[in-house]
Amino acid sequence: MTLTSKPLAALVVVILFGGIFFSSAMGWWQTESTKEAAKITSGEFAGQANPADIRGSYTFGNVEKNFAVPAAVLAEAFGVKDSNLAAFTVKGLEEMYAASAQEIGTSSVRLFVAFYKGMPYDLSTDTYLPESAATILRTRTLSGEQAAYLAAHTVPNPGTAPATSAPQTAPQATQAPAAQPTPKAETPAASSTDRTVKGTTTFGDLLGWGVSQATIEKVLGTSMPAAQVTKIKDYCTEKGLNFETIRPALQAEVDKVK
Amino acid sequence: MITLFGKRIRLFRPKSIWIRKVVQWAFFILIALISVDRALAESGGVSIPFLANASLHAVCPFGGVVTIYQFATVGTFVQKVHQASFVLMIISFLLAILFGPVFCGWVCPLGTIQEFVSNWGRKLFRRRFNHFVPVKLDQVLRYLRYGVLAWVVYMTAVTGKLIFSDYDPYFALFNFWSSEVSIIGLVILGVTLGLSLFVERPWCKYACPYGAVLGITNLFRVFGIRRNVATCKADGACSIMCPMNIPVDDKTVVRDHQCISCLECTSEAVCPVAKTVQFSTRVALRGAK
Repeated sequence: MTLTSKPLAALVVVILFGGIFFSSAMGWWQTESTKEAAKITSGEFAGQANPADIRGSYTFGNVEKNFAVPAAVLAEAFGVKDSNLAAFTVKGLEEMYAASAQEIGTSSVRLFVAFYKGMPYDLSTDTYLPESAATILRTRTLSGEQAAYLAAHTVPNPGTAPATSAPQTAPQATQAPAAQPTPKAETPAASSTDRTVKGTTTFGDLLGWGVSQATIEKVLGTSMPAAQVTKIKDYCTEKGLNFETIRPALQAEVDKVK
Repeated sequence: MITLFGKRIRLFRPKSIWIRKVVQWAFFILIALISVDRALAESGGVSIPFLANASLHAVCPFGGVVTIYQFATVGTFVQKVHQASFVLMIISFLLAILFGPVFCGWVCPLGTIQEFVSNWGRKLFRRRFNHFVPVKLDQVLRYLRYGVLAWVVYMTAVTGKLIFSDYDPYFALFNFWSSEVSIIGLVILGVTLGLSLFVERPWCKYACPYGAVLGITNLFRVFGIRRNVATCKADGACSIMCPMNIPVDDKTVVRDHQCISCLECTSEAVCPVAKTVQFSTRVALRGAK
């Protein structure tokens, strides 16, 4: 069988649009997210909506519908002041927090929802939350690991973003320890005194804990930055070093001088 | 026919597969309208009637390819990819199994715009056009797109994000006004269009990961470019005209992974001998022998 251009053109168009028409008739042709998060398939939370499936196109209303986290709580957590909170899209946070040193966006909402619901979340990657969100989460039930992660991944609410004001969150923060039976979350300030190497630990912290510059440079395999206030993690990123490899090595050195 | 030095000579004027241009530009306009419609809808303005409010990602079959891993392991799609991409991927595979990468040669708007720019290059450089890259280097570079494909699939699987959209000249072409487009995407688009003045379809030849996927079907497609050796005059016209620089005149069946099934080499277009280079099944070729 031989095909010339005109029949081929007709076949291409017919198969392409015919396929789309058929899939549309079968209900398979979806050009937008259904806004229904995928369900967790196994484990303790099997059958529940998976926070990791929250998309940037979700509105706070969609999140509320899927996870029963009120839009008002999300708004307070992320400092959103919008006349229609249910219609605020999650990806809008990236723009709001554009000036933040750490990215606050869709991943942050996923993390917040997971912790708020007491559900597991992949803690191997760095996702940050504003202080206002962390304050709310400290009133919830968190595992020790989650509380430690939260402490190391909280950033101040930037003044440029219309974040929830400090007076609104401060009372919750003070009530938190009494209200929750969970392990107390570490505060960011504690990171420099508990001798645990984290994403917020600076070279100054290490030197202050008694680790010599030579030892640090030996672990890094390169020289230390001139500014001691530089976060080790940021420096590793800048130098193309894997912080997750460097961190335990530095922690071992810190433990030696304890 | 003309008479020259007393001899009657038949001048051969290669025909163009004009219907392909019509189909290509129809899809180009359709995708452009879908993209504009989306932008209008997102800005709260009036959208274009009869067009689905779909993002460009939703109507790109490559989105289906990059999300296969996540779909198989987690049951979800990569960010920004929707079920429509999956449907289009399956339809494109079906087309490719039947006819080879017709999606590249007849549908892909990035191919269309490259060919459009190449028309100027052809006028500027005439015979040198599409022959600037040394053959040996060209042959090696042709496999680069499989490296790009491997990188895109791996990175998408690892990050769960549509990592390629930042580098995708197709996305940049139809969203150049949007803040979603990265600078690097615009640069790659600019470089691609610039190179199109010298080389036909440079993105398709050297970098397109989706072309790499579809190109594999040339090894087993039902309809293929077949040359009848018995009637072939071996004038090389088919090879000269091939936008992908495939030496059609030394093959009986074109199984080159770069063929885009454009039919420009066939007897319907450039080959001066009827029924010599055809787009046919194996059975048809046997019958012609």
